[in-house]
Amino acid sequence: MRRRSFLKGLSAVPALALLGNVQLLAEAKKAKPKSKNAISFKKALEVVTGGKGAKESDKVQLIVPEIAENGAVVPVKVNVDVPIEKVKSIHILTTKNSNARAADVFLTPRNGKAYFATRIKLSGTQNVVAVAVLKDGSAIMASKPVKVTIGGCG
Amino acid sequence: MAKRKSIIKIKPRKYKVGDIVKVDFIVIHPMETGMRKDKKTGKIKPMHYINEVKFYFNDELFTTVLPWETVSTNPYFSINMKVTGPGVIKVVYKDNMGEVNEKTKKVKPKG
Repeated sequence: MRRRSFLKGLSAVPALALLGNVQLLAEAKKAKPKSKNAISFKKALEVVTGGKGAKESDKVQLIVPEIAENGAVVPVKVNVDVPIEKVKSIHILTTKNSNARAADVFLTPRNGKAYFATRIKLSGTQNVVAVAVLKDGSAIMASKPVKVTIGGCG
Repeated sequence: MAKRKSIIKIKPRKYKVGDIVKVDFIVIHPMETGMRKDKKTGKIKPMHYINEVKFYFNDELFTTVLPWETVSTNPYFSINMKVTGPGVIKVVYKDNMGEVNEKTKKVKPKG
C-alpha cells in the first residue's frame, strides 16, 4: 500500500509542477506590460492621414541606417521636397513597436524647409515610415527597413 | 519642478538674415516606456516621457513636436528655421508627469 501511494505521489509531483509552470507562463504573458499608448501601425496611419491613406513618393526622403546595432538609439532624418507652404506636418511611424507612433511634427512657413531629425527606439527588425501630410489633405510617405540586432523597446 | 539639463544649438554657427539654419534641441530625460522592469526591485518603471515640445521665435510659435515614448532616452530634435532677424528662440517642453521647462537661445545673425 505504501509503495502504491508513494508512486502515486511521485506521479502527482510532475503533474503539479507542470500545472504550476503553465500558470507561471500564463502569468508571465499577462505580466508582459502593454504600453498605455499602444496603437497598431495600421491604425496609427489612419489617425495620421485621416483615414485616407498615404501614397509612396520620392519626395519624402527618409534617412535611416540599414543595420542598427543598438535598437535603443536609431537616428532618423526626414526631408520633404515640397515647398514649406504646402506641408502641414511630418509623422514618424514604426511598423512593429507596441506604440507605432514615434513623433508628430507640425510645421509652419517659418521653418523654411520641411526637415525633421530625431532618434528613436526600435523593438526589433522592422520598417520605419515617414508620412508627410500636405495642406490639401493628401499624404505622401516613404518606408525603409531597419535591421536591429539588439532590441531597445521593453 | 525638477530642473532638467537641455541645450539648443544653431547650425551652422555663422549665419545671415535670410538663411535657413538647423535648430537642434537636446534634453536630458529618461523617456521611460512603462514596459521596462527595474532590475533591483523587479517592479515596472512607470511611463515617463516628453509629450510636447514647442519652438518659439520672438514669442511666435513656429513648430510643435509631439513625441511619444518611442523616442530615445535623452531625446534630440532637429528642425529648420528661417532667420528673419535677431531675436530669441524659446523652447517649452512638457512631459506626461506634468513637468514644464523652458530654454532660450539668442539668435544673432551677422551681415
